[in-house]
Amino acid sequence: MLSASLYIIVCSAKNRIRMRLRRLREPRYLFGAIAGVAYFYFTFFARIRGGRGRRSGRGLDPSVNAFTAAAAAGPAAAGLALMVVTAVLSLVPMTSSLLVFPEAEIQFLFPAPVSRRQLLLHRMLRSQLGILFFIVVFSLFVPSSAAFLRLRTGLAMWILFATGKIYFAGIGLAKSRLTSASGPARRLAWAPVALLVAALGLAATALARAFLGRPVTGVQDALTRFSDAAATPPMRVALLPFVALARPFFAPWPWPFALSLVPALAVLAVVTLWVIRTDEGFEEAASQASARSAAARQARMAPAPSARVAGWTLALTGSTEGVFMWKNALQVLRATSGVALIRYFVPLAVAVAAMSTAVLSSRGNVGIAMALCSIAVYLAAFTVLLGPHIMRTDLRDDLRHMELLKTWPLRAAAVIRGEMLFPGIVLTGLAWLALLCGTILSAAGFPRLSNAWRFSGAASAFVLAPALIFAQLTVHNAAAVLFPAWIPLGMSRPRGIDAMGQRIILFGAVLLTLIVMMLPGIVAGAALWFAFYRFVGPVVVIPGAVISLGIVLVEVLAATESLGPAFERLDVQSIERPE
Amino acid sequence: MAITVERLRRTFGSFTAVDDLTFQVGAGEIVGLIGPNGAGKTTTLRSLAGILRPTSGHVRIDGHDIVGDPIEAKRRLAFMPDEPHLFEYLTVEEHLRLTARLYTVNDFDRRAGTLLEELELAGREKLLPGELSRGMRQKVVIACGLLRDATTLLFDEPLTGLDPIGIRKMRATIVARARAGAAILLSSHLLHLVEEICTRVVIMDRGRIVADGTFEELATRADLVEAGSNLEQIFMRVTGRT
Repeated sequence: MLSASLYIIVCSAKNRIRMRLRRLREPRYLFGAIAGVAYFYFTFFARIRGGRGRRSGRGLDPSVNAFTAAAAAGPAAAGLALMVVTAVLSLVPMTSSLLVFPEAEIQFLFPAPVSRRQLLLHRMLRSQLGILFFIVVFSLFVPSSAAFLRLRTGLAMWILFATGKIYFAGIGLAKSRLTSASGPARRLAWAPVALLVAALGLAATALARAFLGRPVTGVQDALTRFSDAAATPPMRVALLPFVALARPFFAPWPWPFALSLVPALAVLAVVTLWVIRTDEGFEEAASQASARSAAARQARMAPAPSARVAGWTLALTGSTEGVFMWKNALQVLRATSGVALIRYFVPLAVAVAAMSTAVLSSRGNVGIAMALCSIAVYLAAFTVLLGPHIMRTDLRDDLRHMELLKTWPLRAAAVIRGEMLFPGIVLTGLAWLALLCGTILSAAGFPRLSNAWRFSGAASAFVLAPALIFAQLTVHNAAAVLFPAWIPLGMSRPRGIDAMGQRIILFGAVLLTLIVMMLPGIVAGAALWFAFYRFVGPVVVIPGAVISLGIVLVEVLAATESLGPAFERLDVQSIERPE
Repeated sequence: MAITVERLRRTFGSFTAVDDLTFQVGAGEIVGLIGPNGAGKTTTLRSLAGILRPTSGHVRIDGHDIVGDPIEAKRRLAFMPDEPHLFEYLTVEEHLRLTARLYTVNDFDRRAGTLLEELELAGREKLLPGELSRGMRQKVVIACGLLRDATTLLFDEPLTGLDPIGIRKMRATIVARARAGAAILLSSHLLHLVEEICTRVVIMDRGRIVADGTFEELATRADLVEAGSNLEQIFMRVTGRT
């Protein structure tokens, strides 16, 4: 089985790498890879090199001494934290990834004449690739120029994660045995939890003795008392496996670190042995875990819609644009769940609150009206500038249904316009709502501006919002027609450095095209400004915005018409399916 | 001719899926498109339906070129794929209504009601595709295809996923549509079905047509006389599987 397992791992990795290298023969992937590598270089390696240059001229940071002092209690503190986290995660109902078998493995390996232990070992081996990849990426972020520090952190993390992964698989197996018909098996299943609770009790008692007797006088005192408590025999015993796993993170390079690996590896070995020897509930736990994982993945990829009554029946005659508007509206209505709302609105709320707080702090004015005005303005800006990127209920999403769309007797330009209509109207509505709030509160939000300026600015923003939104939607949908392979389908995201590079290029292209689309309107508005500002004042920005809107709408019409032939030529084979 | 295919060629990179395909299907004809896996049947049907653009050659539906005049060509077409592609957020009834709007179907309520009854979808109008079995989803696709009076019907493995009653009804429906004057091109691996309902057969192998004619014509063809009169034997012979 070991050879078969290695065969699966090596062949899968080799084929994946080969497939990604082979696709670099296509220019879109090659350019994507170049952009992705450049991004990595400038984000990580150039920063590291820059940091090395800066550090070489400086003395040792004084805070390092304080850190070293605190680090004396580090292994014990980290071990305690590890124990608490382990206890919490052992109680929380969660699925161990080690027990989640992909469909192909279930189909091939479960009916194969291999033992449960061999299957477990196979999963343990397979999980190493993921851990190693994560560690390599994480090590790049370690704020140090010394290679050995990265190596130390990487090795320590590998032992910690490998042990954790195997331990939680053991907990998963133990949980599945809790429902066993055999009494001894059920009692044995409680053993790991009982051990953990006993260890927690010992640690808590030792800490209570150290801290509850007299009040803490400072950080130094707290650290000393914690170190003393950690040195007592009961707590040392309780923390033993956890400290063993944490110590390599703190041990100096090279020999103390090498020595610290021995107990850590011993813990890994004991945990592995424990899991392998208690594999009775394996099939049950693995099938449950795989089913849960598959359901969760399916829900993420395509949330199960519910047939909510929309109150909007499609008329049997009308424009093509209306068909797509109706279809996309129903999709949004039926696909929007509480989870989806949280997914979109929590980051939005955090971003808006953070930006507003930053601006208000810099102004030194934190009145409620002013705060609300700032939030409304940022919300409007966010909706207008990032909304079209986030709300993908248009051709980007419908690339999935392209085979069906291609059989319909419709003008391609009308299809593209129809696809953009619903997200455009929704985003415009949201932006207008935010702008309305901002306008009402603008006296507090912009106290230095005159009424004429505030209302002219607000009116222009109202007019410009749909122009900006529809211009961006046009660019995004044009990209879907012209470069369908670069558009992620549904909730899936293509993986690989080339796919990341493609996204960077696409984002840059969208920005550039947006600027080009808005430029004629800006020039026309500027001309109006210079010609009439001295006569009519700030009101002149309103006709400027109206002209910009008109120009953009003409551009949108022209762009969708000219995209028609490209849509007809669009090859469904070029649409990138998730890996 | 309802369907005219002239020197159709479709490549994917360096691979030629369909090469130099020429055939016609007249009104009232049911032509079976058969061939081993990878012969190019689905690529042919998808090229005819306007999903794949031919690399070269022409496809005409009632004289309208699928590339030059796609809207008029597609208006006359109904394509029923083997894998039902539906909008996961639209109910059965909304799919039918959408089809009616796209193809300007008059008398929608009566037609939809009849089809829903006929395909045993009645009572499931308000369900989403995710709530239906694969066979039921296939029936929705078929209902959308039959809702309008298409002059050309393309079926790719139409019986996949259907239960015995559904298969029987589907067979009857195909024959009835042909009798009403529709041109039907049907791809299937079920040779007994092809033999039973098709008036002619086109056999493909490695992207090319290797035989085209009625069963009588094929059975009396000089090189196939020894193969026997049964379609399976003819198929094995022309595709070199004997």
